[in-house]
Amino acid sequence: MIRVGEAGVRSTVQDRGRFGHLRSGVPTAGPADPFALAAANALVGNAGDAAGIEIIGTPFRFSCDDARVVAVAGRDVSLATRSRLPGWGSVFVRAGQTVTVHSGERTRYAYLAVSGGIATTPVLGSRATYLPAFLGAPLRSGDLLPLGEAEAGAEDAARRIEPTAYDGQVRAIAGPHHDRFEKDAVGRFFAARFVVEPASDRQGVRLGGVPIAPRAGELLSCGVLAGAVQVPRGGAPIVLLADHQTTGGYPVIATVIAADVGKVAQRQPGESLRFYRVERDEALDALRAERRALDDARASA
Amino acid sequence: MKPRVVPFGESALLVELGDEFQEDVVGWARAIADHWETVARFGPAVPAYASALLRFDPLKTAPADAERVAEAMLERGQLTHVAGNEPRRVIEIPTAYDGPDLADTAARSNLSVERLIALHAEREYTAYFLGFLPGTAYCGRLDPRIVAPRLERPRERVPAGSVAIADGQTLVYPLASPGGWRLIGRTELAMFDPSADDPVRIRAGDHVRFIPL
Repeated sequence: MIRVGEAGVRSTVQDRGRFGHLRSGVPTAGPADPFALAAANALVGNAGDAAGIEIIGTPFRFSCDDARVVAVAGRDVSLATRSRLPGWGSVFVRAGQTVTVHSGERTRYAYLAVSGGIATTPVLGSRATYLPAFLGAPLRSGDLLPLGEAEAGAEDAARRIEPTAYDGQVRAIAGPHHDRFEKDAVGRFFAARFVVEPASDRQGVRLGGVPIAPRAGELLSCGVLAGAVQVPRGGAPIVLLADHQTTGGYPVIATVIAADVGKVAQRQPGESLRFYRVERDEALDALRAERRALDDARASA
Repeated sequence: MKPRVVPFGESALLVELGDEFQEDVVGWARAIADHWETVARFGPAVPAYASALLRFDPLKTAPADAERVAEAMLERGQLTHVAGNEPRRVIEIPTAYDGPDLADTAARSNLSVERLIALHAEREYTAYFLGFLPGTAYCGRLDPRIVAPRLERPRERVPAGSVAIADGQTLVYPLASPGGWRLIGRTELAMFDPSADDPVRIRAGDHVRFIPL
């Protein structure tokens, strides 16, 4: 079991997402910053589909009933036991030892993984929390969550993964609706420096700065995914994140590559964001590089 | 617009079948999604009015291979046939017609409230696809006499079970949520139950009737 001592502002159990009921209108949910959760899981020796905890607003304090390997990843995150330990590395903790997850002023999401994974009962094939439909609930201090069987031990501590550079520069592929915009709108989009608006959450990141006017304001709703950059009437783009609805009715000017979705999610209101146009091959190279980093961390035991 | 397949990021394709809503295209979009999920088995699909989002893992399935399969589905014949073979289900929604927008919406169409209720309840609708929130089935078409646009100012909170109309379609809000459709009634019937094997009351392709209480 893991005992939650202090739950932060809003912390939820998340695995990589619920992909089996999209056609019933059930969003994937899962981590807003997918690579950070994947990294935390790899660092503690968990499989890619293991569940961890997404933390909004620290400190988050916990202890485990037995010895475990833990890791935290995200933007500007660290762990504290008796001493302060940087994020993106694995740490061995003894039974009952109190561990605190800390974050910085710029952190939006921190991800905690525990060896064995959070073993809450899956709902509709996933442990991902989706609050609008009451799939799971925010964690509260005093909560006890089951953990899976852990294979990692003390010898698996001190693994490292290179942290994501949360620099506000993200790569995106044009489309699928780029031809519904005036040609110069697409050029403007990839040249613009946007500013993240306060009304951003796990559903999407709203961008201000340069309005990108769509040729047609709305289109027939179609299926969408995390990373899609919708441009509603008015022209202020929204980048969809994990809790986005399964379908959307606004034209999508570009799609952030899967490897960079977390870099969008972690931007704070007032911070800037720029999109760089890439083709599919570069997106695949980025995914392969992520996969290598995760595999290397798992193999370094 | 000619049916086409366009990349949606590196991990999905969007099959676009047209720019306008047509009843027969909805079944085609669904058949494409079915084929993708059950025959090609590359990943989940999301059909909508005239499109299907096809997801895949590009580290397992080369995007070119995914595209080839998607392009082949634009050849229509066989897939529409599959859609026509779905077992016919009729879902009945017991409805109390007492929604807050009932009187306004009737007045707008120069109808009595009773007439609007009769026109809404006498049709058997088709569920086109699900989206918005879990279990939200977009159903149509409404009788042209009760077609009305969405509210100019969406409500911040629509109660779960609200029966609503807008833009020639009707739906039931499965959960309390913000919403801009016109509320004409409500049902006690749960539209979404995550503890069930099939969590939604109405599936795409179902026929739907509203039964006045």
